[in-house]
Amino acid sequence: MPSIGEVKRRHEAKLLGVKGVVGVGVGLRDGRECITVLVRERHPALQREIPADLEGYPTYVEVVGDVRARR
Amino acid sequence: MDVKGAKAVGECCLLGLELPGMTPAVNPNVVGLGIGRKVTRGIVAESIALRVFVKKKSHPLLLRPEEVIPQEIEGVPTDVHETGEVRIRWPFPPVFQRRLRPARPGVSVGHYAVSAGTFGLVVRGREGRNLILSNNHVLANENRGAVGDPILQPGDWDGGKRGRDEIGALQDFVPLAADATNTVDAAVAEPYDARDLSPDVIGIGRVHGVAEAALGMAVTKAGRTTRITQGQVTDVDVTLKVGYTDGFRVFTDQFLIQGRGGFSGAGDSGSAILDGEHRVVGLLFGGSPFVTVANRFANVASALQVTPV
Repeated sequence: MPSIGEVKRRHEAKLLGVKGVVGVGVGLRDGRECITVLVRERHPALQREIPADLEGYPTYVEVVGDVRARR
Repeated sequence: MDVKGAKAVGECCLLGLELPGMTPAVNPNVVGLGIGRKVTRGIVAESIALRVFVKKKSHPLLLRPEEVIPQEIEGVPTDVHETGEVRIRWPFPPVFQRRLRPARPGVSVGHYAVSAGTFGLVVRGREGRNLILSNNHVLANENRGAVGDPILQPGDWDGGKRGRDEIGALQDFVPLAADATNTVDAAVAEPYDARDLSPDVIGIGRVHGVAEAALGMAVTKAGRTTRITQGQVTDVDVTLKVGYTDGFRVFTDQFLIQGRGGFSGAGDSGSAILDGEHRVVGLLFGGSPFVTVANRFANVASALQVTPV
C-alpha cells in the first residue's frame, strides 16, 4: 500500500483544481491520519468533487477561510 | 454667592470659560478647578474652598501679578493644589510592541516600508555573525526591499522611526516566486551593533537546536501581536495558496497549527515555532482566523544558510 504522502502527492493537482480548494495536506483528525483538503468555505459542490477516500486513505475537508501573509 | 457660583467665576477668569457678563481670562498655570476642603500643611480644614489645580505651585511673590491666584473668589477661599499637567492615559504598549535593546526574539520588527512583523530568532549566518531572522514580507517587503535597507525595531505600526529606531539593515532574503512554488518566506537582517541582539526569546528563553514538526506536536511561539500562545500541529506536508498584497503565492512543504482562541494574528509573522523542548521547528508566516501556516525550519536554515544561536 502506498504511503499517505505519496497518495496526497498523486491527487494534489486534481484537488487544487477544485473551485474553493486552497490547499492539501496530511493531517490528524479524530486520532486518524487523513488527507486534509483545505477550503476557503463550504459549498455544496465540494461534497461531489472531493471523494470520501483516496486509495484507502480518508479525506477531511477543513474550512480555513482566507489564508494571508501575517504582516 | 454660593460655591458653585464662585467656581463659575473662577472658571471664567482662570480657565477662560464663558460666563455672561464677564470677560474670560486664562491663567496658563491653571489646569482645573473644583470644590473641596481647604488643605493647609496637610491638615484638612472644615471650610469649603475653591480648589485651584495648577501645573506648578510657587510663592505668590515669585509670580507676576497676573499669575497670582486670588486668595478668594466671590468670598469663597481658594486653595491652590499642584497636580502637574493632566494628560490622557495612553495605554502602555506591551513589551512585544516596544523598542527593546538588546532586542529579543518575540518583539516587533519590520522593513521601514512594512507595517510590522516579529523578530523570530537570532541566527548565525554564513560569515559567523548573528542576524535577525524573520519573513521576506516583514524584512524585505515582499521582494520590494533591497539589501542594505533599514530595519526598524519596533516596526512602523508600533511607532518605529527611521534613524532613531533603526536596528540594522536587510542582509539577505529568499525571493518569493509568483510563477513557481515556494518553500519559505524568509529573510535576515544584520544589526548595526551586535550588542543590540539577545538570543533569549521573550517569556521562553534560549532555543535548543532544531527539530521536525510532527502531527499532534504541541508547539509555542512568541509574537508581536498575540504574544505567547500554544497550539498543536494539525497538518504537515501541506501545499497551500497564501494571499500577499499583490496576489497568491503557492507554498509546498508547509505545516499548519491550530490553537484554542487562535495561535496567531496579523503582526506575528516571523515568529519562531518551538516544540515542548524549545527546539525550533518552523517559521510562522501566514494564517487565517482558523489556522496558522509555518515554513519547516529545515527549509529556512538551508535556504538562508543559517543556524539558530
